[in-house]
Amino acid sequence: MTSDAVKVWDGWIRLFHWAIVLIIPAMWWTAENGEMTWHMRLGMVLMALLLFRILWGFVGSTTARFGSFVAGPGAVLSYLTGNRREEAEGIGHNPAGGWSVLALLLVMLAQVGLGLFSGDPYDGATGPLNHMVGAMTAGWMTDWHEIGFNVLLGLIGLHVAAILFYVFVKRENLVTPMVTGKRKGGAVVDGMESPSVTRGIVCLAIATVIPLWIWFGAG
Amino acid sequence: MAIRNTGLAAAALIALTACGSNDEAASSDSPEPAVIGERQDNFEQIGDAFRVIRGELENDAPDMAVISANAEIINANAMKIEGHFPAGTGMDDGFDSEALATIWERPEEFAAAHERLVSASEAFLATANAGDSAAVAEGVPELGAACKNCHDTFRLDDE
Repeated sequence: MTSDAVKVWDGWIRLFHWAIVLIIPAMWWTAENGEMTWHMRLGMVLMALLLFRILWGFVGSTTARFGSFVAGPGAVLSYLTGNRREEAEGIGHNPAGGWSVLALLLVMLAQVGLGLFSGDPYDGATGPLNHMVGAMTAGWMTDWHEIGFNVLLGLIGLHVAAILFYVFVKRENLVTPMVTGKRKGGAVVDGMESPSVTRGIVCLAIATVIPLWIWFGAG
Repeated sequence: MAIRNTGLAAAALIALTACGSNDEAASSDSPEPAVIGERQDNFEQIGDAFRVIRGELENDAPDMAVISANAEIINANAMKIEGHFPAGTGMDDGFDSEALATIWERPEEFAAAHERLVSASEAFLATANAGDSAAVAEGVPELGAACKNCHDTFRLDDE
């Protein structure tokens, strides 16, 4: 990195991103191989990660905030049809990528939510809150939990395809900045602004308490 | 640049592996016997019917006709299980199945577990046809236990 490198992703976002990259294949594998206790434990970790990311989307660093990257339909259309002026000047998610991030977060959140209630007590494992819903409700939630994974795969495919498009067509590497947090500044002068470490720790604590309470409170 | 691209390729590979791995990993060379799909559908119908019954029992006024019809499905499907497990169609034979080798290693135990389900489903059907929803509700755990009894021993443990 040259001296004009600017910071685009904070450590919390990078940690969140790569934790998701590890946990999603692990959750698929545990579900396919009947390791349901581990599947649910990982699901609780995923819930904590997602809750943290939502909190960070409101009080985190500038590039993490929903307000900074959730663009209106006009901006998305303008971006996709070739008016990429804002991209040269801005850092963080582009208008189309912002919606991709939001969709990924929502589908993962739905997966965690459905998984809590999924299963059948007479037919294998059940989510920690399965007993709180009726048999039919748990039934359709289980079905949607399975469908939801395929939706998530589609979104991940789109996400990876966009990154490959950037590498091979636009000659821009987006993966390294997600590792180091920095990218070459170019026309961009200002990097992101980070809140205090304490705020990150407080958000993480809040995000962890909820799944812990579900896991131990429901058992 | 070369290092960056390697890292990128590795990341893309991991992501694409996750995408492609939705397919079941059937390692057997021979085609999957049709009976595996048949018995899975059969069990699926039993599970669905049992869920409909339990859902109906959660209502203030359970529809006994619905309960009887589904108890009928459970009993009819339970009797079909006997022919659904020819040797060489288990999980260890490389097929997309959760049927453990214990089915064929302990045939008498498996037959007894099957018999328990058949008789439990018969008793449950008789109770359903008698029309007393409270009695049906009382019978749910026993029928459920007859299902679980087999799952615990002869199906891949999913805990």
